Amino acid sequence: MRTALRLLGGQRFLVAPLCLLGAVIVFAASAPEFLTLGNVSNVGAQMWVLALLAVGQMFAIVTRGFDISVGAVAALSSTIAAHAVNALGPAGLLAGPLTGLLCGTLTGFLIGFLRLQPIVATLGMMIGVRGLALLVTGDGQVVPLHDADLASWLAFDPAFGLPPADWGAIGCILLAGALLGRAVLGRRLVMLGSNPDAAHLVGIDTARTQLRAYQLCGGFAGLAGVLVLLRAGTGLPTDGAGMELQSIAAALIGGTALSGGVARVFPVVLGAAFIQAVLTGLDLQGVSPFIAQIVVGLVIVAAGFLEFALRRFQGFAFHRRSWT
Amino acid sequence: MTALALPLPVRSAWRRWRPGAAAWTTLGVFLLFAVLVPRFASSGNLVNVLRVAAILCVAACGQAIVLVLGGIEFSFGSSAALASVVGVLAVPWLGPAGGLAAGGAVVIAIGALNGALIAGFGLPPFVVTLGMLMAAAGAAASLVGGQPIDAPPSAAFAWPAAGSVATIPVPILLGAAAVTVLHALLSRSRLGRLWYLAGANPVAARLSGIAVGRVTFLGYLVAGAFCAVTAVVLTSRVGSGQPNLAPNLPFESIAACAIGGIPLAGGEGRAHQVVCGVLVIAMMNNAVVLLNFPIAAQQLVMAVVIIGAVLLQNAGSLPVMLRRALTRRPNA
Repeated sequence: MRTALRLLGGQRFLVAPLCLLGAVIVFAASAPEFLTLGNVSNVGAQMWVLALLAVGQMFAIVTRGFDISVGAVAALSSTIAAHAVNALGPAGLLAGPLTGLLCGTLTGFLIGFLRLQPIVATLGMMIGVRGLALLVTGDGQVVPLHDADLASWLAFDPAFGLPPADWGAIGCILLAGALLGRAVLGRRLVMLGSNPDAAHLVGIDTARTQLRAYQLCGGFAGLAGVLVLLRAGTGLPTDGAGMELQSIAAALIGGTALSGGVARVFPVVLGAAFIQAVLTGLDLQGVSPFIAQIVVGLVIVAAGFLEFALRRFQGFAFHRRSWT
Repeated sequence: MTALALPLPVRSAWRRWRPGAAAWTTLGVFLLFAVLVPRFASSGNLVNVLRVAAILCVAACGQAIVLVLGGIEFSFGSSAALASVVGVLAVPWLGPAGGLAAGGAVVIAIGALNGALIAGFGLPPFVVTLGMLMAAAGAAASLVGGQPIDAPPSAAFAWPAAGSVATIPVPILLGAAAVTVLHALLSRSRLGRLWYLAGANPVAARLSGIAVGRVTFLGYLVAGAFCAVTAVVLTSRVGSGQPNLAPNLPFESIAACAIGGIPLAGGEGRAHQVVCGVLVIAMMNNAVVLLNFPIAAQQLVMAVVIIGAVLLQNAGSLPVMLRRALTRRPNA
């Protein structure tokens, strides 16, 4: 048991799996069709957009920041990728993550080098990127893909059990896990989040590391935009409102500490799966989506409570205060 | 203290009252728009700007208290939406004034709940208010099935937004009152002094005998009361219960405080900074409409002004930061 706990990285990362388990039990007990193969794969198919956004968000949160522009960036990326695919063919899909990367670079530059507060920089980016998405599409028209077969093949035709787009998402998330746990950059991000002064003193270029965090966040938002594009078959310039808050929620439920320096990729994905399961499960029971919104809100507060309880029972000698 | 204040009364008056970075930014934005935008500087338009600014200003005053405490408040927008829905639903029982009061009470209750969770359990304000943002938005939408409902038309219901006292519009009066109250609280009251201390260093404040929990709770409660006034004016202005009333209110109020130069780290912030930030946002919103920009361009301008105005606050250190960006430390 101890070893299992250590493998998972401590109690805080148990929150997401337990929440997911609880949600599955509750929904399966009250709506038998929740556990049918079709529905499980339905949740599985819908969760990857949120999972990509949440993993990106995790990189920002682990450095004590956050990014409320991810929904807007995903929407912009989906429209630009749609234009690029129409012009260049399948290679144009790369334009999505590239757009996200550019947005993330600008955000990271503002936060890392110009020392803006994350809320101000990402709020400005959110508004600006929304405007840009409208500009690119001529006031919010959707951008349909000419080659709809390609999109539906990538997003819906299972190969080895899952559609290729979902395999792509899983691959990117695994890469994120390797980056956070095994790469030098991941180590620097965690160090920066757990103690910026110490990170600076041991010679880490803190500004540049922060820039990298937001680049990763933007890049993953761009990937999420591509996934949205493939699933919908159209670039959606006004989509993604509310996704930023859900992605922050998923990252927090997944054990990422707002005070920085603590994060794991796998629990964050489970956090995203949990939120998607709640939304889909309540939908199956005929509960209005508005009630589902209330539930997600309460779950976020409950996740905060869990952190409070962990702090109390583990007897932390000190409690690091984040800026929030 | 007295010995320090004695010499050069003229110069110290200038020291005390000279405009800070926030005021210079506001003045600069005003002059820029007055020159570039036709009809911007007409008195009718400026009253319009003030009327819009005043509504945001009341909520931003509440946000400022929370920021001084080192917290952040995201739930303003959806609690205002919930207030408008509850207010309109309550009109048949309580009458127009009673309905609006019920709406305001809802916002204050949400502020109190936020404060209790944050102060009582030490939960991060970010998490609590974010959760409350979603929960209140869901509650507002589910009460009316996602559709706006009209309030029965009445003079009393429209008065907070459209009425005037001695030819001064009510929203402007409320905005001025909010700034006065905020100033009195922050720089003249014991509670305000405790807010600064608790925000600057909660551990030190607790060790020196301040009841940090109670002070924090009162801060969120008072912030909720400020937002309640905004919610009432907004509800009265649209004359209906809108489940999607002011989605950007929390972000605009935070942006206003940031433009005014209030750091989000806590322990600092004055009432006049709120006024400056709010005026910048209101003037900008007004100017892009006067210029008849398409919505896309409006949003781009807004983004540039928010980021640019905050950058201007520490313009002095910009060259240093830019140089750092261009040189790479060996280890990175």
